[in-house]
Amino acid sequence: MQKGSFYHLYIVMKKDLTEFYRVRARLVSMIMLPILLMLLFGYMFPSSGSITHIPIAIVNQDQSATAIQVINSFTYMAQSGNAFNVLTYTSLAQAQQALLQGKIYAIVIFRPGFGEGLKSGAAAVQVIVDQMNPTLDQVVTGGIQSIFSQLNVQLSLSQGFPAQAGTISVNFQGLIPGSPSSFEFLAPGFIAMSMVMGGLAGLAMTFSRERELGTLDGMLMTPISRFSIVMGKAMAQAVRGIISGVMIVILAIILFGVKIYGNIFLMSLIIFLGILSFTGLGLIATSFVSDQESAQMIMLMIEMPMIFISGIFYPVLQLPLWLRDIAYMLPLSYTVSAFRSVMVMNAPLSAVWPDVLVLIVYSLVTFAIAIPLFQKMVTK
Amino acid sequence: MSFKVSKGEIFGLVGPNGAGKSTLLKMLCTVLRPTSGKGYVEGHDIVKEATEVRRSIGVVQEKLILYSPLTPIENLEFFGNLYNMDSKILRAKIMELLDDVKLMTVKDRPVGTFSTGMRQRLNIARALLHDPRVVILDEPTNGLDPQSVRWVRDFIIKLKERGLTVVLTTHDMYEIDELAEVVAIMDRGQILEIGNKDELKSRHGVDKIEDVFLSLTGRELRDELSGRLRGRGW
Repeated sequence: MQKGSFYHLYIVMKKDLTEFYRVRARLVSMIMLPILLMLLFGYMFPSSGSITHIPIAIVNQDQSATAIQVINSFTYMAQSGNAFNVLTYTSLAQAQQALLQGKIYAIVIFRPGFGEGLKSGAAAVQVIVDQMNPTLDQVVTGGIQSIFSQLNVQLSLSQGFPAQAGTISVNFQGLIPGSPSSFEFLAPGFIAMSMVMGGLAGLAMTFSRERELGTLDGMLMTPISRFSIVMGKAMAQAVRGIISGVMIVILAIILFGVKIYGNIFLMSLIIFLGILSFTGLGLIATSFVSDQESAQMIMLMIEMPMIFISGIFYPVLQLPLWLRDIAYMLPLSYTVSAFRSVMVMNAPLSAVWPDVLVLIVYSLVTFAIAIPLFQKMVTK
Repeated sequence: MSFKVSKGEIFGLVGPNGAGKSTLLKMLCTVLRPTSGKGYVEGHDIVKEATEVRRSIGVVQEKLILYSPLTPIENLEFFGNLYNMDSKILRAKIMELLDDVKLMTVKDRPVGTFSTGMRQRLNIARALLHDPRVVILDEPTNGLDPQSVRWVRDFIIKLKERGLTVVLTTHDMYEIDELAEVVAIMDRGQILEIGNKDELKSRHGVDKIEDVFLSLTGRELRDELSGRLRGRGW
């Protein structure tokens, strides 16, 4: 039987991986860079920035005049400093759904009997916080705590409550059971980031290197299709990216106690689709340049902003509208979103399918553009 | 431009920098698509039957088509697999070629540790892996030490003796004088003169191909800029 395009694809992929394995510097950098980044962010984490207008929800289950009065004061204080946008939900279920969908970052629940409790000094509010972004988690927690502290002072001074009565205690609760490590929520982003480095930069570099060395011409002079060359190299990068991702997951589990709640196969599918999207994008971006240095610069230009606006460190919803639009044009946003939901929140495919679908379409479209561009690039 | 290379001959293609030799060879190798005209290699159209052409030719470029981190065996296996060679036949062929190019003792060492001469010998082995009928050699002795140059030239003669057609481009006129039977001198995308090496020399009344070359292309220096930069006002 005649060996076809997929056999050649495999041969190119195997060659690229063997070559990569043999050059110790490349191998070490692939292993060390994500590890260094993970250690760096894992230990120094987190610091709050100038985050504003964070959407939070209030669910009032009490309806007493006192509760309404406290809620009004809370809403006024929360919104006056532009820190929060306070939304009111009539049911806790609706609010929880909004929290899971990332529409809000916290729910402040005033349970039945809050008003009565306040009079006797036993008032408590429950706050459910989205821990998906640790920086935001800290800001939200600190902000809400601070508002209630101020409210307590106001209540005891101006409302005439006794010294001990009127104290509202705040019970914070996360979406994930137990006391998850805050790094647990950064890990999915790091894994996706390591794929960007492996996939996007690696593929561009391998093409430009082969062009400079002349070995690409060597391949083109053999009876191998352009499709096999492009896809073989893309697959080699995919394997590298997956190895890198797996390493980070293992280290995150060992060093930071990160837990995987989701389905491994679904996580692998998202990683694979993410890498394909990155490599397609990388190939398009570098098909216009012929040398390694230019390819490196172009990759850096795409990589750096993509890492910072794709929701790894900072929620996409908190970005200015124009930047949010750019983030939604990049595959990393969908990869991070889907991967994080599956890994941390055990989201099923039915919950992340829009992200998965975008990644599939992204891969198909970028490769459909990249392969003819590659053809043009090598024959000019 | 029109020319024909006969089977089994060593055809020398020479010209100053920017003459268009590399472009012509890249078209014959099917890497570049001609904007007009026709070309055939072993009877196969270089545009319509590119795959057949690629199976017929073995190319030794000025740039070595080898992967430094891989061993000679891995390099040859990679390229052999791209020609869909049967694994047993490929293995036997690799051993035969490594023996031919005197690299059997270093067959498991990374190519990156090789001298330029060793790399060029392996590069030649790579080009012969799939038993091509036509071998295209673009500056095959560039940058080699005298011993390696001698070895490469002797090997080119052996290729002719095996019945292969050899297309050789080089700036070394001595090499052309020694090896080529038919010589084409080209400049600015045109073939200025083509013919049997000795006929060319007698036609110009000189003893060396170098003198024929200089009388046709002139003695002024050629400072050719690359096409890309030229178009940008440089």
